[in-house]
Amino acid sequence: MKTAKTMFVVFAALLLAAGSLLVGKGTAAEDKVSFYANITAIEPIMDAFSKSTGIKGEYTRISTAKFLSTVFTEFEANKLMADVIQAPLPVLEMLKEKGVIAPYVSPEAAKYPEWTNKNGIQLFGIEYVGIIYNRELVKPEDVPKRYQDLADPKWKDKIVMANPASHATTICWLIGLRENVFASDQEWREFLKGLAANRPMFVASFGPTPAPIESGEKQIGISMPKYIVTKAPAPLDWARVENQPLMGTPRAMGISSKAPHPQAAKKFMDYWLSKDAMTLLANDVGEYVLAPGVFPPIAGMDKAQVIPIRELADDEIARWGEEFKKIFAIR
Amino acid sequence: MTGRHSGLTLLLIAIVGFLTICPVIMLIFGSLSEGLTASGKFTLAKYITAYTDPALLEVIWNTVIFVGGAATTATALALFLAYLNIRTDIPFKFIFGIISIIPMMIPHLLFSVSWVLLLNPSNGILNLILQQAFSLHHAPFNIYSLPGMVLVEGLLDLPIAYLIIAPAMASFDASLEESSRVCGASTAKTIFRITLPVLRPAILAAFILCVIRGLASFAVPSVIGMPGRIYVLATHLYQMVSTGFAADYGKAAAVGMSVLLASIILIYLYRYLTSASDRFVTIAGRGYKPTIIKLQRSKIPLFLILGFLSFILIILPVVVLFYTSLVPYSMVPSMRALSMMGLKHWIEVLNDPISLLSLKNSLFLGVVGATLGIVLSIFVAYVIVKVRSRSAGILESLSFLSFSFPGIVIGVGFMWFFVRTPLYATVWALLIGYIATYLPYGIRPLSSAFVQIHDHLEESSLVAGASYLTTLRRIVIPLLVPGIVSGWVLMATMFVRELSLSVVLSRPGTEVLAVQILRFSEDGLWGKLSALGIMMIGVSTLLVLLVTLIGRWFRPVDR
Repeated sequence: MKTAKTMFVVFAALLLAAGSLLVGKGTAAEDKVSFYANITAIEPIMDAFSKSTGIKGEYTRISTAKFLSTVFTEFEANKLMADVIQAPLPVLEMLKEKGVIAPYVSPEAAKYPEWTNKNGIQLFGIEYVGIIYNRELVKPEDVPKRYQDLADPKWKDKIVMANPASHATTICWLIGLRENVFASDQEWREFLKGLAANRPMFVASFGPTPAPIESGEKQIGISMPKYIVTKAPAPLDWARVENQPLMGTPRAMGISSKAPHPQAAKKFMDYWLSKDAMTLLANDVGEYVLAPGVFPPIAGMDKAQVIPIRELADDEIARWGEEFKKIFAIR
Repeated sequence: MTGRHSGLTLLLIAIVGFLTICPVIMLIFGSLSEGLTASGKFTLAKYITAYTDPALLEVIWNTVIFVGGAATTATALALFLAYLNIRTDIPFKFIFGIISIIPMMIPHLLFSVSWVLLLNPSNGILNLILQQAFSLHHAPFNIYSLPGMVLVEGLLDLPIAYLIIAPAMASFDASLEESSRVCGASTAKTIFRITLPVLRPAILAAFILCVIRGLASFAVPSVIGMPGRIYVLATHLYQMVSTGFAADYGKAAAVGMSVLLASIILIYLYRYLTSASDRFVTIAGRGYKPTIIKLQRSKIPLFLILGFLSFILIILPVVVLFYTSLVPYSMVPSMRALSMMGLKHWIEVLNDPISLLSLKNSLFLGVVGATLGIVLSIFVAYVIVKVRSRSAGILESLSFLSFSFPGIVIGVGFMWFFVRTPLYATVWALLIGYIATYLPYGIRPLSSAFVQIHDHLEESSLVAGASYLTTLRRIVIPLLVPGIVSGWVLMATMFVRELSLSVVLSRPGTEVLAVQILRFSEDGLWGKLSALGIMMIGVSTLLVLLVTLIGRWFRPVDR
């Protein structure tokens, strides 16, 4: 019995001790930079940065839902490993409010429109959302020419979109329509009623929206035009809404106030905002970037008007989520 | 309780308690703290908001049907499969044994997506075939429904039930059934009066584990429930944390406390229902003989039923997955799709350094984690079954603590805990988190196996002068081999595809398969996702085959 007990003590001790011994040692050397981001598929930029500067770029991808919780937890425990942080603007604003973001204005920012600099937080792109459709199933004459066309009963049971009761970006986008597209609140509500009557299929986020359109399970959806690039050769196209803008939440970035590698962080941010990096982001990932003259390789996108949505506080998002729950009869 | 047993029990309570209580305590703090972390000012506001939500009642009702239906489906199917595979002379039983546990190896997200491709009402492949064959105007099946959710979750939980029931079935003493038949009972009567009652601990354990897993499940409610507008607890929690940019996991943890309470009640109910453990002992000192029943005339029909079920329910979704990995984008099968097939996604995944690193890390966590987990499980299961004191009851409840929490919040609990230790952001945090959370996967099959081994065997060994450790090594463990194999398989396959903890704790250098698969899914890259998913199934299958063969070699009855 004694042996059994000893075995246990050794087992438990080994498990914990081995872990503590093998924990990687932090280094203050400026030979690497840690980038926390919710933007996807950016490995080509990380590689290009490493080649260009000799500094190793480490990319930690955190979903928007876990972003604040993760960063605040690490920050409060003095374990924040991020040097540079990228997230939707409202998230960066909340981080800045708690002292997580240090103000830094990159020299590269001078090439961007003035409104993209938010006192140390730099905007570099827009998470643009629009109407995506299957060009093999939707006839050219049926492609919506205005957002209002989505309420046409011909789209009944043919639409896919992220859940408007919970998906923050979709909620913001619908509010964006109200403030930037529709002439009145009543007109906007009529549109929502029509859209709801078409019984769109709801998915958790934008990620699962293109697959049903590609496969023909649905024909059209509210989604991100960048999928036309990342999902090529899928038969996806975007509806060129006439005299109406494409809208999205601004993508923002900043340097951590407790950056373990502050100099490398500045170099990374300078590189990220450079035309080279933004061209990679537009070409490889289909992102809509704010570097002047750089556009994703999507036909007609250079002519589109793409605007940022007003920042909505979480309370406002939750309130509208409840409202959309009723309008779309989600429960 | 003897002194030596109480010492072992307390030691185990300390170890298991340390592993499982810490994240749960952090979640309790989080649910009672202002702000987004576990260190804010005290408040009850999160409980008040969470429990006064008018939608909660409907969510609970849907959850009860979903979880109860899935657990019943999984347990019934597992019983049927295990009985035919282990107790009868049905052909190709080794293959059926592997098929029964395939859903355990597939990322649940992918399995759910496969079923959507097969049975969605617009252009689901099976629906289209049936519509053409029977000239139907509408699709006969709609996967986006509560029965659809029950079916897919039931299939996903089937391996859990199978791997708990199969070892008990393997150590079943057929002389009990023979006595029944000698007394004139029919086969059906023998099954219902003898076989099933004797297997009660394993059946209940399987059912309860499936219920708890169903409560924690997110993939099926998200991929199948949400498009059908059917909300269960997991999607309710998701909605709660994802509306807005500042996700409040403390509020989700407040709802999670009810799930935890329900799980603990279930565990005590299970202990009560199996309290007369002597009634379930089937391996005593004499006459232990797991006889194979000859099916005779029903052999071919049963083989065909089993083959058909395995094909439709398990093989077909995997084939869909394989097909998805070969086509350039999501497309319904057609000549055009066939002509566009290629290995593009496979080549991209094999050239992606993060995918390869995640394969390596997951393999390490699967093998090392399951091995350490099973060593701990053997001791815990022994105390739970053989000691049966109040402390043993506490130990059993402790082992379920992290496991019972919905996946969407338990990872955050571990993050709140590990961030205060030097293990944060290392592969060791993942290893400890995995073992702590999925300990019941090791304990349950071993408990079911322990229940059936009579104390006389150990006592004889001790009387003959063997030490306690020798008795364990030479008498108990060889008889436990089916349970050890089942537990190891459950843990290893779970660790290879683990997502809930990994998505929060994984950092550069410690990427794992499920996180990489989630990334592909968030980017809508179903081809790459399917290719990596099949690689994951390949890795898990290799592990399962290896440990099954090792287990066969060690089993005394087979030598």
